[in-house]
Amino acid sequence: MAFRHIYFNEETCTGCNTCVEVCMCDALAPNPEEGKPPVEMYPEECWFCGACISFCPQKEKGAIEMVTPFPMRGGFTADEKREEHKE
Amino acid sequence: MKPKIITSDTDVLIIGGGLGGCMAAIHAADLGVKVTVTDKSNTLASGAAATGIDHIWAYIPPVHEEMGYTIEDMAEEHRIGMSAGLLRKDLFLLVAGTVYDRVLDLERFGIRFRYEDSKAPGHFRIVPQFHSVPSSFNFDGVPLKRVLTREVRKRGVDIFNRVQMLDLLVTDGQVCGAAGIGTRTGDVHVFRAKAVILATGRANRLGRNLCGYDFNTRIPAPFSGDGQAMAAREGLPLINMEFLSGRILAPCANYSPNYGDPRNTTQPAARVIDGQGNVLVPRTSFYDWESLGKEKWSLEVRKRWLEERRVIGEARRRMVAEQRSGGGPFYLDFSEATAEEAAYIEWSIRNEGKGTQFLRYFLGEEKADLRRNKQEYAGFSARELSGYSSAGLWVNGELETEVRNLFAVGDVLGGFPFGASPAAFATGWHAGGAAAQRAREAREFLPFTNGVVKARKGLCEDILERKRGFYWREVETYVQNVMDFYCGDVRSEPMLRRGLERLEDAKSAPLKAENPHELARSMDVKSIIDIAEMVLRASIERKESRPAPVPFRRAEFPEQDDEHWLCFLAIRKEESDFRFTTYPVG
Repeated sequence: MAFRHIYFNEETCTGCNTCVEVCMCDALAPNPEEGKPPVEMYPEECWFCGACISFCPQKEKGAIEMVTPFPMRGGFTADEKREEHKE
Repeated sequence: MKPKIITSDTDVLIIGGGLGGCMAAIHAADLGVKVTVTDKSNTLASGAAATGIDHIWAYIPPVHEEMGYTIEDMAEEHRIGMSAGLLRKDLFLLVAGTVYDRVLDLERFGIRFRYEDSKAPGHFRIVPQFHSVPSSFNFDGVPLKRVLTREVRKRGVDIFNRVQMLDLLVTDGQVCGAAGIGTRTGDVHVFRAKAVILATGRANRLGRNLCGYDFNTRIPAPFSGDGQAMAAREGLPLINMEFLSGRILAPCANYSPNYGDPRNTTQPAARVIDGQGNVLVPRTSFYDWESLGKEKWSLEVRKRWLEERRVIGEARRRMVAEQRSGGGPFYLDFSEATAEEAAYIEWSIRNEGKGTQFLRYFLGEEKADLRRNKQEYAGFSARELSGYSSAGLWVNGELETEVRNLFAVGDVLGGFPFGASPAAFATGWHAGGAAAQRAREAREFLPFTNGVVKARKGLCEDILERKRGFYWREVETYVQNVMDFYCGDVRSEPMLRRGLERLEDAKSAPLKAENPHELARSMDVKSIIDIAEMVLRASIERKESRPAPVPFRRAEFPEQDDEHWLCFLAIRKEESDFRFTTYPVG
């Protein structure tokens, strides 16, 4: 399984490809099947700017989600409240 | 796949549609000439301000005049505080003296700069950043590129997105167009133009990214220095190329939210502390606008400011040293922020760079909180050409290069450390006007020989048709390894010379690409190699150490040597060799 970190919601993504158009690094490509969510062609070329989400007409419906890669996570001190949430 | 050649004509060609390119396009189009913008990404979200900026510094007449603080005072602080003397005062005055007008332009375009709750003149939000007085507007910068793209389109400018320009077309010392490739088509685009503006931004990806994600850099990853590289191939001088940022490493906490030191996006309430709670950099407070004008600015204010800068500089050095000798970790601590301050900081982060996405992670994915969860603080991790408009092309006071009708703006320029977005706005506007004027004077297009275009097309075909060769990232990683190992934080001539030898292999490495996207990345790597070579060569040539625009340290010459080196070092390509000259500062 190859690395990926951008997830499309099949239910709410309309396949409009706005994210493909605005991606600075051209990391996404349109789905060969019209109306389907784009394909993350080059996940390792993401700059993590989040423009794909910011420009998404369906962002309120969660059509695109970026899951921060594991090595980029953390880097801040924990606290009780946050630990509770994690459970 | 056979690349086609597509030819277009325009009066003014602008290469790069970031802040500088868009401002140039707007001004040139307002003057009635035909304008074309190319962008290797999409102007809606490209350039260093792609997804926003939260501050613009400026000389702000309604504030600074009231304080008795002149533009000359500001120029002096930028020279001594930000540039270790390596500042072009003419460029500084051009930018500082006009950027307030550009802010008002942006406001007319619909960018929000005024807030009811602010007691500053004009209801602006203004914070201290690079100078001894508050001089940076905080504002809602996320929509900048959408708004500028709309303004550019409204004026009938042609935008060619996903076109990466790589070659200048020059006849008898005058620019007559440029050529590049479609990053989705592989086609070769040739533009005939009467004037050309280089606005391609900084050079990035000059070292490995320790967090493990090569493109998770501070400034946009697509910046490969194409503008500087194509200008260098035309024999144009570039200055300050030895100032490659160092390797202050942050393999953890590496979302690169672009905080800067705790005097930038995270002021007023952020402070830097160590694990025991000792304060390395104290917090600040909002400026007291109600006392504006009561006490005039004086050299005492500057003295206090210089002392504070020294404390921050020492804290940075201490953090690096202590982490290597049993100390650390260090944290950015907002725990003493009031609710109002915390909300302000969050708003500021959201507007800056990748801040919106960082907050989606920090607040959304992690359910963390700025005040509860201290963030590890270790500075920047990317290796990029230094200090915003610091390293780059040498231009005259009208922003024109030695090639007639070829202008450079924003981060492509050299000699203006921390010019940043104000330099992009102001120089873009200025060059747009100057280029339009030249285009109107020129009656027809100059003829050019087709050799450059044919060579580019041939190179593209070779890379696309090659069966065995190296994927772009292999060669890029090789170059980054060379730079990190032979051109690190402390440099020496023997190591730099060996780095140059190793780089020769990268230059001749056969690249292969399976599609136009990979072809364009291969072209990125070609530019990165050109920039890397200039960095190595210039690093050999500067025989001193200097703390700014970014720290430059030579093992053999540990002291700053103003007698011989308080000057701009210019590198210039000649046939197969390079020549160095110097330009005076000031």
